[in-house]
Amino acid sequence: MGWKTKPQEEDGEERENGDAVHVPVFRNKEKVLITCSRRINFRYRHLMLNVASLLPHSKRDSKVESKESKGATLNELVELKNCSSCMFFECRKHKDLYLWMAKSPDGPSVKFLVNAVHTMEELKLTGNHLKGSRPLLTFSANFDKEPHWMLLKELMLQIFQIPKDHRKSKPFHDHVFAFSIVDDHIWFRNYQITVPHNEPTKMDRGGLDKMTLTEVGPRFCLNPIKIFGGSFGGPTLYENPFYISPNQIRSLQKKKKAGKYVKKVKAKTRRKMHELSNPMERDELADMWKE
Amino acid sequence: MVVLKKYPSSIKGGEMEDDEEFDTVVSDSESDLESESDGEEKDEIKLTEPSKTAINNKEGLLEKLSEISWPKDADWIHSLSVVIDQDQEVDVNDDLAREAAFYTQALQGTREAFAKLESKGLPYLRPFDYYAEMVKTDAHMGKVKGKLLLEKKLREEQEERRKAREAKKFSKQVQAEKQKDRAKEKKESIESVKKWRKQREKSGYANDKDEMKLSFEEGGGGAKGKRKGPPGVSPGDRSGGKAGKFNKGGQKGMDKKRKSRDFKDSKFGFGGRKGGKKQNTAETTNDFKGFNKESRSGNKKRRQF
Repeated sequence: MGWKTKPQEEDGEERENGDAVHVPVFRNKEKVLITCSRRINFRYRHLMLNVASLLPHSKRDSKVESKESKGATLNELVELKNCSSCMFFECRKHKDLYLWMAKSPDGPSVKFLVNAVHTMEELKLTGNHLKGSRPLLTFSANFDKEPHWMLLKELMLQIFQIPKDHRKSKPFHDHVFAFSIVDDHIWFRNYQITVPHNEPTKMDRGGLDKMTLTEVGPRFCLNPIKIFGGSFGGPTLYENPFYISPNQIRSLQKKKKAGKYVKKVKAKTRRKMHELSNPMERDELADMWKE
Repeated sequence: MVVLKKYPSSIKGGEMEDDEEFDTVVSDSESDLESESDGEEKDEIKLTEPSKTAINNKEGLLEKLSEISWPKDADWIHSLSVVIDQDQEVDVNDDLAREAAFYTQALQGTREAFAKLESKGLPYLRPFDYYAEMVKTDAHMGKVKGKLLLEKKLREEQEERRKAREAKKFSKQVQAEKQKDRAKEKKESIESVKKWRKQREKSGYANDKDEMKLSFEEGGGGAKGKRKGPPGVSPGDRSGGKAGKFNKGGQKGMDKKRKSRDFKDSKFGFGGRKGGKKQNTAETTNDFKGFNKESRSGNKKRRQF
């Protein structure tokens, strides 16, 4: 009972100081728990660390045993850490990364398959920005077309935006996140904003046109699999109709490659049968030199 | 546009000059990012038809959305989010077009957001004297810089090699052209001399005296050229030019010569006993001053081949 009312206060992100002023003052008090499953490989772990470094309002926790990564334990963990949402990086078979994003305790939660991962450590990504400065978020317009995209947009907004006046945040804006839906996947990019300016805090005239962006990283691409009503569980609200799991893909590829030997043997026997059924005519010149 | 500019150039480099070892290295490392993501994308096969059993509970989704979403009157400063309309469909498999689309989306969004922040009078640009922890460490940024510099260097070297190759291609033509020019020049000069002679004949050797003098002088010049012996020695001097050293102190060249002679004498010995000078003594045995670095490196090279 105790944890139902408490999160309502917190999760609403809306604290009404109504007694005196009667004006509801909105305060974002989001806290994100970032954790991963055991046996995650280094690349995905680095991605997780990168994300954590972008979100100063996040809390980290030790890896979760993958067998325990059922909803109940994770929910408990989130509650223990006083968080209102959670990002859980689940690595399977050392190669497939699934990302859970969940609002706790009442949901919703969503499971993504993560593709095309590039971490911040890669030297190609040359930008850099303040740690903890609040990002500008840009969403492509097709987020507003379908209910499940709308829900995902709200989820991303709440998780990725650093609360205003967070004690670890910095008062300037020097990077921008781009969330874009292309090919039914959500693509994430993080750019540094460079504006040439002479005065310390004011932009030059026409500075907006001279603005350039440099990519900072990380990059990843999220393929939504399922959206659940609860936190790490509950009724399924949405299922990606186009989704095939990477296991299925691999087995398909294996099947395509398999049967090479069987095919060869078959071809041999077929040839033999063919030769038996159509014997060659005896060559009349065969014995010519044998006397 | 830093990132965007880099991509095309790298791709171009890879395609155009793949016959050089450096280029392949560069293009390999550069296309790494792209190819990897490509591979992952190609692995992913989409169902051609959407599965019919898939759940899409729109009411439920919208209900959840209304449950969790921030109140409508929440200030924009809390979300800082901008929606950008993409005007055209983006081809996922075209890396460049895709990245460009993301870039423009982010850029447009930033412009809008900055305009909004400006109108609200909120600070958004970092002052010059505001130093704080960055996402990437200085050590890491140093690495990034090093890589960029290396890439630049490699690209310049490539360019140089390409230029040299092209120059080689054209060098034959250039040589032929030069020879032609020279032949033409020669012919012209001969022609002009002939012309001059004819003219002289026509005028009937009018100023013959001058011409004779001139020709004599020319002849004299020729004799000068043939003369043997050390330069700078007058024809009557039998001392081989050494006499001049003492009476003509003003000649700088002589001074220099004297100096170098002295040095050589001191080095190789002139006058006095030579026997002891060229032998090692206790001090000089372990003195390797005379073995300079260059000669050693040269040896190394020779050993390599």
